[in-house]
Amino acid sequence: MVLSQRQKDELNKAISDYLGANGFHTAQEHFQKEASLSGEMEKKYSGLLEKKWTSVIRLQKRVMDLEAKLAEAEKEVNSGAPTRDRRSPSEWIPRPPERYTLSGHRSPITKVVIHPVFALMVSASEDATIKVWDYETGDYERTLKGHTDSVQDIAFDNTGKLLASCSADMTLKLWDFQGFECLKTMYGHDHNVSSITFMPNGDFIVSSSRDKTIKMWEVATGYCVKTYSGHREWVRMVRVNQDGSLLASCSNDQTLRVWVVSTKECKMELREHEHVVECLAWAPEAAAPAITEASNMDSKVKIPGPFLASGSRDKTIKFWDVGTGLCLFTLIGHDNWVRGLVFHVGGKYLLSASDDKTLRIWDIANKRNHKTLQAHNHFVTSLDMHKSSPYVVTGSVDQTVKVWECR
Amino acid sequence: MSNPAADPQPVEDVQGDGRWMSLHHAYMLEGKEREPEVVFLGDSIFQQLQQTEIWHEMFEPMHCLNFSIGGDQTQHLLWRIQNGEVDSVQPKVLVLLVGTNNHGHTAQQVTGGIMEIISVLTNKHPQAQLVVMSLLPRGEKPNPLREKFATINKSLEMQLTEIPTATFLGVDPTIFYKSGTEEIGRQDMFDYLHLTKLGYQKLCEPLLEEIQSLLKDFVKVESTSTETSSMAGELASDQP
Repeated sequence: MVLSQRQKDELNKAISDYLGANGFHTAQEHFQKEASLSGEMEKKYSGLLEKKWTSVIRLQKRVMDLEAKLAEAEKEVNSGAPTRDRRSPSEWIPRPPERYTLSGHRSPITKVVIHPVFALMVSASEDATIKVWDYETGDYERTLKGHTDSVQDIAFDNTGKLLASCSADMTLKLWDFQGFECLKTMYGHDHNVSSITFMPNGDFIVSSSRDKTIKMWEVATGYCVKTYSGHREWVRMVRVNQDGSLLASCSNDQTLRVWVVSTKECKMELREHEHVVECLAWAPEAAAPAITEASNMDSKVKIPGPFLASGSRDKTIKFWDVGTGLCLFTLIGHDNWVRGLVFHVGGKYLLSASDDKTLRIWDIANKRNHKTLQAHNHFVTSLDMHKSSPYVVTGSVDQTVKVWECR
Repeated sequence: MSNPAADPQPVEDVQGDGRWMSLHHAYMLEGKEREPEVVFLGDSIFQQLQQTEIWHEMFEPMHCLNFSIGGDQTQHLLWRIQNGEVDSVQPKVLVLLVGTNNHGHTAQQVTGGIMEIISVLTNKHPQAQLVVMSLLPRGEKPNPLREKFATINKSLEMQLTEIPTATFLGVDPTIFYKSGTEEIGRQDMFDYLHLTKLGYQKLCEPLLEEIQSLLKDFVKVESTSTETSSMAGELASDQP
């Protein structure tokens, strides 16, 4: 340990004072000589050594007290929610604070997706890379490089063996998620490719683009086999329903469209949003009762569905009945663009990410903002929720990915 | 009779590091990547705004981008917008503050330069609303530059009434004066030209209001005091 000259002097004087005060006069005399101290001693050094000695112990005790207090406070925060062992998959929702903040990307995060099998997640960024992370340990795994411009969307097939990505470089890429190699690069869109998804059987990929089209690609050959045209502007997102018969897309033209996969026919156009429609999600079967209840209808009368949820720059989230083409209800609460939607597995909740920097959990049946998490320091661009484990991940323009644990 | 303030010119790279051109390219890329609803165009006064908490807390949530370069005169900004800087964006509002650096030019020439920029912008973005800010006073004590700017501002205000999509936002110079004097205090302008945090608060209050009403969009903004940056997760609540 290195003391400054002033500290050394003070220590010497304190020692001398201690020796004097405790009757070690010979030792004090010798010490004063060796340390070249004068006999005169200022008053402030009297008892100083003992004081230092006791204050360390006092501080240690204080630290322990504070630590105990903190543990208590943490327990209190947690008791607001069910404990880890009592949580149930149909009820759990993400709770603050975040479990991990993962940094590494050098530009805003555009998309986060959780792997269907392993404890892994991937993030796409405007820095043209895709990064793989372990969401349980918070470890960084690797980076997939190949795109030459902002990566806009990523998707896994059901097995998790294949990863598909699309980019502002106008290409789609297919990655082997075991060897982490790029298997194919697919060309065909004339502009920024904004969204990508696998068909349920895994044989085809669907993509949407700023070139106003939606395209279907055969995984085995990499050929474009179908093109769906009709949107008047940039298509922001495309998603396929559970049985693979319908596509839903949303666009800068402020509409959603539903397409019949086999015939390429546009089945309906859903208009009511007042700004760009950023994102959409097909409601799972489990959400049908809550959506029916929220639509103020007699719950015995079953609305056939299927149902869609959409998020827009008009700050609202809308629920649609694709059977009738009607908007059922609107969720209002976000203070800025809605950028990402995901249904809770239990069907009771919808989760949303927004440019108001929050992650919100909506109680569908009561059309109520159930919980708000101040998630990031900048726009939250994307979110995903695990189908069976208690994890939610978010990505942001602040260049970080966060992992949230659910209780 | 050519007007040097309205003749598009890139800035000469006298220091040899090419920063001006690099920034021009960076702005073009940023415009392509983001989809701004508001674009700021100007010189150092707007450029430094981007480094403030006010920008982060109040302007960023409204999807603003800031394409400003320190030292720019009207002819330099004119060159930038004529060479692609605003071509890949579709803003609803454009905000302009330039002219304080046009040292060698007369009031009439500077006004001509600004009007030329306005005409290029309204041609490229006929759907957008244009907010033209008055030149801010500079120098500790009253000086000929302040008088020149007053002339420019007056003439801009008059000419802009003829352009339906443009609004003149006159900033009362006295808000920067020490009370009862015509002297500018360093608490508002640390070098009697560039703004401090306090100075930006005075400038931005009317500007925010103007932009918000133009966007017809009242993004919830917390308070003007800048100490409110929240810690993630801390503010979670069970109610909306």
